[in-house]
Amino acid sequence: MIVEGTYPLPGTPDVIWNLLMDPEVLVKAMPGTKELVRTAPDRYEGVMRIGIGPITAAEFELVILLTDMKEPHSYAMQIDGKGRAGFTRGTASVELSPDGAGSMMHYSADLQVGGKIAAVGQRLLDSVSKLMTRQGLEALNRELQSRLGGAAV
Amino acid sequence: MAGRYVGERVLRLEDARLLTGRALFVDDLQLPGLLHVAFLRSDEAHARITRIDATAARSRPGVLAAYTATDLGDYWRPGPLLVPPPPIAGLVFHTATQVPLARDKVRHVGEPLAMVVAESRYLAEDALEDIVVELDPLPAVTDLEAALLEPASLVHEQFGSNLAAHVQQRKGDYAAARAAAHRVIARRFHYDRGAAAAIENRGVVAQWDARVEELTVWDTTQAPIPIRNGLAALLGLRESQVRVIAPFIGGGFGPKIMMYYPEEVLVPWAAMRLGRPVKWIEDRRENFYATTQERAQIHDAELAVSIDGKILGVRDKFLHDTGAYDPYGLTVPINTQCTLLGPYVVPHYDSEFTAVFTNKPIVTPVRGAGRQHGVFVMERLLDFAARELGIDRVEIRRRNYIQPDAFPYDHEILFQDFRPLVYDSGNYPAALEKAVELIGYDGFVKQEQPRLRREGRHVGLGIVSYIEGTGIGPYEGARVTVEPSGSVRLATGVGTQGQGHFTTFAQIVAEVLGVEVGCVQVSTGDTREFTWGTGTFASRGAVVAGSACHAAALKVREKILGLAAPLLGVPPAELVLEAGSVHVRDAPEQGMRLGELARKANPLRGAVTPGTEPGLEATAYFGPDRGNAASGVHAMLVEVDAETAAVRIKRYVVVHDCGTIINPMVVEAQVQGGVAHGIGNAFFEQLSFDENGQLMNASFMDYLLPTALDVPSVEMAHIETPSPLNPLGTKGVGEAGAIPTGAAFAQAIEDALAGSGVEITEIPLSPNRLFELLEAARGAP
Repeated sequence: MIVEGTYPLPGTPDVIWNLLMDPEVLVKAMPGTKELVRTAPDRYEGVMRIGIGPITAAEFELVILLTDMKEPHSYAMQIDGKGRAGFTRGTASVELSPDGAGSMMHYSADLQVGGKIAAVGQRLLDSVSKLMTRQGLEALNRELQSRLGGAAV
Repeated sequence: MAGRYVGERVLRLEDARLLTGRALFVDDLQLPGLLHVAFLRSDEAHARITRIDATAARSRPGVLAAYTATDLGDYWRPGPLLVPPPPIAGLVFHTATQVPLARDKVRHVGEPLAMVVAESRYLAEDALEDIVVELDPLPAVTDLEAALLEPASLVHEQFGSNLAAHVQQRKGDYAAARAAAHRVIARRFHYDRGAAAAIENRGVVAQWDARVEELTVWDTTQAPIPIRNGLAALLGLRESQVRVIAPFIGGGFGPKIMMYYPEEVLVPWAAMRLGRPVKWIEDRRENFYATTQERAQIHDAELAVSIDGKILGVRDKFLHDTGAYDPYGLTVPINTQCTLLGPYVVPHYDSEFTAVFTNKPIVTPVRGAGRQHGVFVMERLLDFAARELGIDRVEIRRRNYIQPDAFPYDHEILFQDFRPLVYDSGNYPAALEKAVELIGYDGFVKQEQPRLRREGRHVGLGIVSYIEGTGIGPYEGARVTVEPSGSVRLATGVGTQGQGHFTTFAQIVAEVLGVEVGCVQVSTGDTREFTWGTGTFASRGAVVAGSACHAAALKVREKILGLAAPLLGVPPAELVLEAGSVHVRDAPEQGMRLGELARKANPLRGAVTPGTEPGLEATAYFGPDRGNAASGVHAMLVEVDAETAAVRIKRYVVVHDCGTIINPMVVEAQVQGGVAHGIGNAFFEQLSFDENGQLMNASFMDYLLPTALDVPSVEMAHIETPSPLNPLGTKGVGEAGAIPTGAAFAQAIEDALAGSGVEITEIPLSPNRLFELLEAARGAP
């Protein structure tokens, strides 16, 4: 499964970068995340609960490793989620570039999904992942706006 | 053999029990102290097992046991090679059979890793979450060609490649035929996976009775006797200590002949260890990976034809997906190889296949068992040849048929029963002409289709032939007993999965003994009732078990005549059996009831002639020299919506020849059901795996089965060309309906879309896929 897109955000790449490295913000930017702890400078661990079609409230243990950190321009992630309803793993990347007064975020993820979520949730995976991505980006946007004192996008 | 009952439309004797809910299915069993099982199955298609720990599961309240591979000790061993490869020169075969619980590696999604036994299924399922499993994923092997040419990994490292088997069979000199050909029609064909989707999933219940030291196992198997034998050997018991009962089963279709499934060796083992009865019932999602499936194949085939459409030769080279293990040997691809030849004279044939291990569920026969692939390839090649040569598609078939006087007809290659592929009998032209008449071929092609086309409607006709190799050995047996009540007891070893065995076998015995069909009580699938046999597969029940019933009934008839003749004071030749009595010909008053005779055959005092066997009872066995060749023609009319690519079947005609018909209603029901299966296979059902070996449609939300709205009532006609290979003259019919359906669909859809440029070389189709093909054809220059 490939998820990718671009999204304009207020603030400079530096501001956004700092937010993205803050677990408290990340929890909000990843819908369904119940907890997220930075266990090492480049490692997050947490628990995510999501629903896909007939599978409700599936919990995943999540490990995210940050790699190729080029502050404040880009970084990559290795994502590994496991739970009773299956697994998801893969890589993702985030790039930030100045765009007028704000920034443009380019994101892409190549995720492999297995187990029950792949078997019975397949036809909803795309729409659920798009929905979750949009909700996450909107949450990030709100967070940025409030931190920047309500500056317009 | 036809008579009072054989050939009659006798209502099914088992239906009263089935329709009123009194038939026993495995899941109906409720035993005191019954425990329930759930299996932890792999989410990964291919991975090394680095850790598995069931400690936490064992301490959950209500859990009695949790087993991993290491807990099985010596009981852990790979299953048997069920069907060894036939003796074909140069054959390569690598054996890799399934294991009870994965130990070092998992090789397909759904492979069992651990088993939990608990007071309820709910508790067992909950406890699965307590098991810690660490899997180190390996690249999954899913693409048949890449698996051989550039394997990302090896499913079984010990073989050094993903090749499971390689077989070449040749007849004549194809290269010479090709050189002499007017045209060579070459295409690549794809056939993808489907599920058998029986209405009843698998299930096993086992009970160990320590006082009588007997294990009873209720199993949804198609092969109760081989399961009994296997369990006895595995568990260190005498065969007589194990009773396997295959009660009423909601559809078999092939996967239930596979053995031994991990669950069916683990559940009895757990019942013995725990001293309590244990039940496991497969749920539908498990069924999508844990039960064996149909097969993907890719064919590169060519047909060499003369200018007048005569087949000069066929060359076919195909890849066969055997899944993660190959316990069923080469039955499926050899069926494909043999069935491709169909009812045609093919003077030169060169067929070569490579079976490939993949990280997908195991492939074993499913209704048709590879035959439909062969039929699809051959019928499509003939369609393309007809088009290129400007010959009518019915005519090109007519010109190539083996003629009715050419039997026995030797195709000079080996069939799945290790015997030469020699057709016993047939009348292919008669079936074709009947189908042409029933579907109204000439009228449709000349009038109706042009008229409808002018109205802008896309209607098409498909008409194809096929052979179904059926009724193979080795053997089955039956025991017939006339009881003092006058009722007749018939026991046979084959299991029954809805085919109507309780009726057809009763008809055969009733015919021989002159009793009412309803007097014959049939027992199938209980190893205590009958202890020898192999199982229900390859459309062989009526042929092989039916012939054994016939032979046993004849022996009892001899006993009746021998006993009654002195009592009635006439020679045996002057006696007739009728209405439950034996009496002097033309003098019904000089006779006696069979029940009375049965009492006389079992005296309590006095003396008998030495050597006398008590009772009116006999056991007999039947094994044919080789399989026989049932045949037929399917014809269908479809209408295609050229915008949405939806296909509607307007009519479906089957002309079928299964030799002597025992019960036309049973035959028609088998054909109708087979066609439903075939329609699913051709146009709805496809198991979609992603490149990582994940099955993406493991539920009936996403895996489409045809419904009653999609399956028309099949119009049927029968040709009866008796088989010389058994006393009944009968041939198998169980798979016939499912075999040529894809070929008929493809021809009919192409015909409906004539001029669009769409050429169909793949099955299954779907509205979606057909839409893509239409779009691609529209986009083509």
